[in-house]
Amino acid sequence: MSKKTAATAAILAGAMTAAISMAASTAPANAAKLKCYGVALAGQNDCAAGPGTTCAGTSKVDYQGNSWKYVEANSCDEVVIKVDGQPDRMGSPEPIERDLPS
Amino acid sequence: MQTILSANLPPSRFVPRPIPARSGVGLKAQHVGDILETAADIGFFEVHAENYMGAGGLPHAQLRAIRERYPLSVHGVGMSIGGEGRIDPQHLARFKAVVDHYQPGLVSEHLAWSTHDDVFYNDLLPLPYTGATLARIVDHVGQVQEAIGRQILIENPSTYVTFAESTWSEVDFMTEIARRSGCGLLLDVNNVFVSAANHGYGARDYVAAYPLDRVQEIHLGGHAKDADDAGRPLLIDAHDREVADDVWALYRLVLARTGPLPTLIEWDNDVPAWPMLAAEAERADRLIGRNRPPVHVGLAGVALVAQ
Amino acid sequence: MTGVASGTESGTAGAGNGGFAAGLLDPDVEVPAEISGRRAATRRYGVYRNNVVVGLIDALKAAYPSLLVIMGEMNFARVGRHFIAAHPPRSPMMQDFGAGFAEFLAGFAPLRGSPFLADVARLERAWLEAYHAADAAPLTGADLAGLAPEAMAGLVLPAHPALAVICSDHPIGDLFAYRFGRPERGPDLAASQSALVTRPELEVRVTMVTRPQARFLGSLAAGQPLGEATEATLAAEPEFDLATALALALQSGAFVRPLA
Repeated sequence: MSKKTAATAAILAGAMTAAISMAASTAPANAAKLKCYGVALAGQNDCAAGPGTTCAGTSKVDYQGNSWKYVEANSCDEVVIKVDGQPDRMGSPEPIERDLPS
Repeated sequence: MQTILSANLPPSRFVPRPIPARSGVGLKAQHVGDILETAADIGFFEVHAENYMGAGGLPHAQLRAIRERYPLSVHGVGMSIGGEGRIDPQHLARFKAVVDHYQPGLVSEHLAWSTHDDVFYNDLLPLPYTGATLARIVDHVGQVQEAIGRQILIENPSTYVTFAESTWSEVDFMTEIARRSGCGLLLDVNNVFVSAANHGYGARDYVAAYPLDRVQEIHLGGHAKDADDAGRPLLIDAHDREVADDVWALYRLVLARTGPLPTLIEWDNDVPAWPMLAAEAERADRLIGRNRPPVHVGLAGVALVAQ
Repeated sequence: MTGVASGTESGTAGAGNGGFAAGLLDPDVEVPAEISGRRAATRRYGVYRNNVVVGLIDALKAAYPSLLVIMGEMNFARVGRHFIAAHPPRSPMMQDFGAGFAEFLAGFAPLRGSPFLADVARLERAWLEAYHAADAAPLTGADLAGLAPEAMAGLVLPAHPALAVICSDHPIGDLFAYRFGRPERGPDLAASQSALVTRPELEVRVTMVTRPQARFLGSLAAGQPLGEATEATLAAEPEFDLATALALALQSGAFVRPLA
């Protein structure tokens, strides 16, 4: 056993004892609950029809930049989504003029 | 990443349990707590097979708890029975794993397609009713039944378009699918109503001509009203509200001819709180009860699912 | 003829399902020729277009609820339509749909200035995969208590099926929390955060970890023995606290029992 290996083994042994005691002092996870916490409604297959005849499915995909607004409100506390080619404006609601690729 | 369930699920501990001639409800994850806590008096639950094809976690834990307490029906929404390509063997294996594990009382799929050239469109898409499409569907239904080793039910669709090349009526097409493949039928009464309104034929005539002796389950759901290019009403199978009064009326007519049948309330969009769904199910149960023969209560439904 | 009138068995094949499918994701394609009264069937065919496109966008929204809040409904839907056109679902299991969203966002030129979006997508995807991951009993302290000190360095801890370690140069933890509501103050976008995703029982847990912890747990998850992972982490991150990292692994259910 090299010096380094021996040192590692010692560190590990000490840390393991500490870790087991730390982990034990925390309450274990609750038993299986079937109620609605964290229910993922994502990725559900269903057999219902959507919103009728006039909605996103029938409108053209808009590749023009002039109506893209990547930021919902003009607030300095918003996350600023930068759109390429635009000056970095905090929460700018102004239209983006650059065309977007298809 | 695709997950294959068969390798992960423990061996089934469920014994087959037939679906009673009562009302049932499409299971929603958000209702499981209410259902278990109130020990809801529901005849059966139905789930979409595709939502239980993951490896583990909460969906399976919930469904096992439901299956321990209630009869279960498994309804596939992604097999693309009406697709031009072959039945996806991987998907069929996953479907079989769900059926094998949960031992449902009924297994059903749709007269529709959703996959073409490997793209899954996540919708029940329509097809022309021709000799060629009939042969394909009979073949696909046979493949599914052989793979899972039991009969399936095929559901009539809600449609918004028809095809110039169709040479069969939908009723005759369904009759022939059942006759040739040996499958049973799931009669969606709301779909009958929606399609009849959209294509200008009589829903009662459809039911009168339908092979009701093949029907082992009924679906009821709410529909939305829209309009077509000419401004005529176009009904949408939205499953987002109560069953319409006209559909209840059509359902009563069906029940009077079939006797009690398992009847599912489908509510998939704008899903309400549990009590509202339970109330819809109660309404169906009352109608089923009126058509129940005074002796041998529930026997009809049991006899129908005994394969 | 599709109602109750009787039919015959003859019939010729039209363009088939392919013709019908062509316009579902592409609004520039006209109503398929085989539809009866196609000239007046735009809205009827539109029902299917809506079902497909709106259904897929909704599925994407449900899978990426943090990004939905961060980007806003309209922006999300627009990016979603680009994604769907480029990566329509290939599996009939909707839980598989959207797996490539992070990669798509990373390569989406208009969003080059917001690289954190892709990392948030990676974390949200890890959450969903953990949700559906196989059930397994997590490793506990008791499993390790009797271990001989000399056996520790060579120990390989198998990752729990739900485990994911997401390292990022962006505040992905703060951004992930947007799914619970928009905070009063936005996060410091210059901050770096890493996340540990686990599911000890049925509930998915997202735990913020330090960079050394993420490096160490990631090495273990990749199959490195305990000794090697410790040495490598300490060499790169001298302030690394091994005991805390191991305790975190035990508490969060990151690993399962090694095969005897």
